[in-house]
Amino acid sequence: MTTRLSHRLSGSVGWTAALSLLFFLLYYLYLWLVVDLRLIYHGGGAIANFPVFYRGWEFFRDFLSYPGGLVEYMSAFLAQFFYIGWAGALIATIQALLLWLCTGSIIRTVSGWRPRWVCFIPPILLLMLYARYSYQFSAAMTLLVALGFVCLYARTALKSNPVSLLAFLVLSIIVYAAAGVVYLLFAVLCAIYELLIRKRWWAGLMYLLLVPIVLQIEGLLVFDVSIANTLSHLRLLFHKPDMTIVTMACILYLFLPVAVLGLWLLRFFGVSGRPFFRGAAMLPRVIALALPFVIGAVAVGLSHNSILKTTLEVDYYACCRMWPEVLQTANRHPRHGFASRVVNRALYHTGRLAYDMFTYPQSPDALYATNAINTYWRLFDTYIDLGQMNQAEYALVICMEMYGERPIILKRLALVNMVKGRTGAAKACLGALSRTLFDAGWATEYLAKIESDPNLSTDEEVQHLRSIMAEKDKAFQIIDITILQELLNRNRLNRMAFEYLTASYLLTGKFDMFIANLDRLDDFYYVGIPRVYEEAMLFHNYRTKSNVELLGREISSAAHQRFNGFVDVFIVRHKQDDKAAFDELSRKYGDSYLYYCLYKQSGMKK
Amino acid sequence: MSNRITVFGLVLFGILLSGALAYGLLGGHAVQIDEYSDIDRPAKIYPDYCSTVIPPDIAPLNFLVQEDGSYYLARIYSDKGEAIEVSSRSPKILIPDGPWHELLEKNRGGDIHFDVFVRTDNHRWVRYRTVTNKIASEDIDAYLVYRRMHQTHTPIKGRIGIYQRNLSNFDKLVVLDNRRYMLGCVNCHSFCEKRPGEALIGAREKGYFTLFIEKNKVTKIHTKLGYTTWHPSGRLAAFSIDNLPIFFHSARKEFLDTVGLNSALAYFVVDSKTVRTSPEISRKDRLETWPTWSADGQYLYFCSSPISWTAQTKIPPDGYDKIKYDLVRISYDIENDKWGEVETVLSAQDTGLSISMPRTSPDGRWLMFCMCNYGYFTPWQPNSDLYIMDLKATRETGRCEYRRLDINSDESESWHSWSSNSRWIVFSSKREHGGFTRSYISYVDESGKVYKPLVLPQKDPAFYGYCLDTFNTPEFATVPMAATGEKLSRVARGSAGVSVEMPITMATPKADVVPERGYIWQEIQ
Repeated sequence: MTTRLSHRLSGSVGWTAALSLLFFLLYYLYLWLVVDLRLIYHGGGAIANFPVFYRGWEFFRDFLSYPGGLVEYMSAFLAQFFYIGWAGALIATIQALLLWLCTGSIIRTVSGWRPRWVCFIPPILLLMLYARYSYQFSAAMTLLVALGFVCLYARTALKSNPVSLLAFLVLSIIVYAAAGVVYLLFAVLCAIYELLIRKRWWAGLMYLLLVPIVLQIEGLLVFDVSIANTLSHLRLLFHKPDMTIVTMACILYLFLPVAVLGLWLLRFFGVSGRPFFRGAAMLPRVIALALPFVIGAVAVGLSHNSILKTTLEVDYYACCRMWPEVLQTANRHPRHGFASRVVNRALYHTGRLAYDMFTYPQSPDALYATNAINTYWRLFDTYIDLGQMNQAEYALVICMEMYGERPIILKRLALVNMVKGRTGAAKACLGALSRTLFDAGWATEYLAKIESDPNLSTDEEVQHLRSIMAEKDKAFQIIDITILQELLNRNRLNRMAFEYLTASYLLTGKFDMFIANLDRLDDFYYVGIPRVYEEAMLFHNYRTKSNVELLGREISSAAHQRFNGFVDVFIVRHKQDDKAAFDELSRKYGDSYLYYCLYKQSGMKK
Repeated sequence: MSNRITVFGLVLFGILLSGALAYGLLGGHAVQIDEYSDIDRPAKIYPDYCSTVIPPDIAPLNFLVQEDGSYYLARIYSDKGEAIEVSSRSPKILIPDGPWHELLEKNRGGDIHFDVFVRTDNHRWVRYRTVTNKIASEDIDAYLVYRRMHQTHTPIKGRIGIYQRNLSNFDKLVVLDNRRYMLGCVNCHSFCEKRPGEALIGAREKGYFTLFIEKNKVTKIHTKLGYTTWHPSGRLAAFSIDNLPIFFHSARKEFLDTVGLNSALAYFVVDSKTVRTSPEISRKDRLETWPTWSADGQYLYFCSSPISWTAQTKIPPDGYDKIKYDLVRISYDIENDKWGEVETVLSAQDTGLSISMPRTSPDGRWLMFCMCNYGYFTPWQPNSDLYIMDLKATRETGRCEYRRLDINSDESESWHSWSSNSRWIVFSSKREHGGFTRSYISYVDESGKVYKPLVLPQKDPAFYGYCLDTFNTPEFATVPMAATGEKLSRVARGSAGVSVEMPITMATPKADVVPERGYIWQEIQ
């Protein structure tokens, strides 16, 4: 039995193929079910380089104007399928599979080795990049094109010298036009092949000398770009959210030249190109075959960014208005304040903001007021829900500038303009949206609606938003909560504005304003007084030694009990021991406003 | 075997290609309409190329028929020359370039008619009432140079560029694209009339700089020249230095706004590559901006307003919406570099509105400007309208003869520019797509009447229906720019250049309350 298995392991191509297939099957499942490429498509304000794609010649034509545009266009098209989780994973897996095949073929051709696990390294590196929620599909596509052309060259180069040179020149022109700056990799690999394998020094050196000539002549004649400009694109090739990703991407690109040179050098040390386990004992063979799986699992396990995944998921669900899912996902990292603005919005929409907001991490700017540009993605929906159409519009156009004309942005920009009655602008957004792959239906429907009813008088969402939209203009440079007051003055039934305003007062400790606003409670159908407000009232009473006028309402006995319990722990039982008080209060009252007032943090209940 | 497959594939490809060609050549044009019924209204076409005056050398006015149908035919004809017939299954009517220009050329000063036929779903043809436009006798300038960008006006990351469009066809050339210098920013551009092809382009990467295109040479000047106007002699360019922080509106139509906290004028002397100013154009108690030279170069027109705050403690400062600019001018003797006294041409007190963007026509007869309720950055003032002043009549009567143009819309009109023969204007308007500004061209006759504008034609007539960029600062040019693309980008990327010493700092508010560094120069791009 052992002998038969050993025979198969050492000699059977079938085993290798089967294991490779298994590897890529697992690869696919991981991308589909664990990474979930829909999150990369969504971007969540964290992925800025995901490409936009429109149908039509106008959009395509732009890509023809610079080197690398063709592959960029193709990548942009294929990347849109990340919208459908399984389809995106399939495309990304096929890309990795082709990368694996090209790597194997090049190493085999150039170094003479018959590689096994080495060619799994590029797909694994790519998987690590996906696990870190970095969009590098386009970069990997340019790499794939360059490697594919190296394989093609290796086949044609078997012919005579002039044919090789001609093939190199023709392929150079194509690769530079199609894949841009990655042409350098193609040229270097071809030169290595000529120098090391075919021992044609003149050809290798000539190829390297031809690189700047091709870049300069083709660049200037066809694209009007110089070498310097082309090389400057190396800096732009990878979007760089962090250095780890840049490093991994660089390794991905430099892997093949380094591997080929390394394997070639090994020959001088007497290491042959045979698999090292050939003829060896059973255990090393099994290890050798299992190595890609082990390396893959470890690498991906180490690089998986679960915090970013949760952030993206929370934002994804919020954009789909799937509020229970938002809260459920946020609970995976309960003490992480990564998406407090989104969580607060979910709490509002589930009717829990005035009850449970301190179950989650809070801070004075956790609701919405901010001028930091990178938070705008998480704010535009909040602004729309509140009725702040101009703030929403500004956040959206900034996001469009930062993240491109993404469908999620265009939909909202169209809506905002429809609400504002700027149907011309709305039509332009819808026109753009109607040329996307997956949101064209929505856009066409709205374009027809505008055509038949320019005022959109029958559209419930538009009408609702118009009813709460700010009317009295105010000029400001830094947004503040007085705008919420304006919204309430416009429509006193704007419950979101009320809860956000109240929550803002509580988070910033403006008790007087909070108390002054309480008479608005009657405008909404609360059962009793919401828990957070009860705690704030009790705290206020305790501090000022007074009683808030409740206008016929009553603070529940449960609230009194909680308050007394809190005071008991803090003042009576652990008066002298801050650490003990903190521990016990965190454990029992870490989700209360009282705790927030004391420690300026929340969501600490264990 | 593989050879056979290849041959089979090639034959199949050839057959398909021939079929497609035959269909394209024959099927697309062989429409014979024997019978049709008339509809007594013009067809809805987009863009609205109806009852307007068109340049005799303009690119084909491709249009979209916005009527339901299964087949479309447009017959374009005039008194002389052969009629053009374009038929299509798609409602896009794409007019062939050659016959179009031939027709326009033969009928200068005459009318051009569009007959639109539509085959309805029940296979019957209908003809809509004829659309007629007038072909002007006077040419429009050959090129239009404009900036295309997203709506924000703040440099963050997006693509922004200056492009040169050939107006007689659809050729577009990149003058300067921020992707060529690490996603920097591109600001305004201005041309020298007497030295065609030469220009100043403001830009920014790590710091502000200006590209000076002179003959065949590009020089990087390490400072920013704001809104710039070339002296007709080409020997100097006056410009404004502005401090314009952006702020927002919570409820008005246009969400962005700005206020000129501080501004002054200076001028760049070409030969010496130096910057100078004069106390008359950089007063501490006034905001001076939007300079423009008179056609003879004897006067510098500009906008001026008193400063109503001593130190801005917040943005926008109180009273920002009360700031109104007068139109003033100052004489200038270029030979002796002597400035005269500032005189008011049109005061905001008289108009009740704020004046901005004055531009004189090259023949010296007209001055076009914008007026809005307050401030001076009209693209963000929805009530900004175009006005025209008859300088000749004003000179003769001693009264300021100006009027509001009939072509204004409910949205902002701004960034107007005259053609070299003073018969055409191009301007930016938000009339159709709100925040997404488009460029419009209008004919101006000898009496100063401005005709219904037409949007800058595009090859794809549906283009504006999905384009989310704004097109601003359109400027006519008679010849292509002397340097574009890589030639400009190389200088933009490089560090070599000329450093100039600015003769003024932001004098108002006083030195101790000058805003922090970020506000010294314009924030508006």
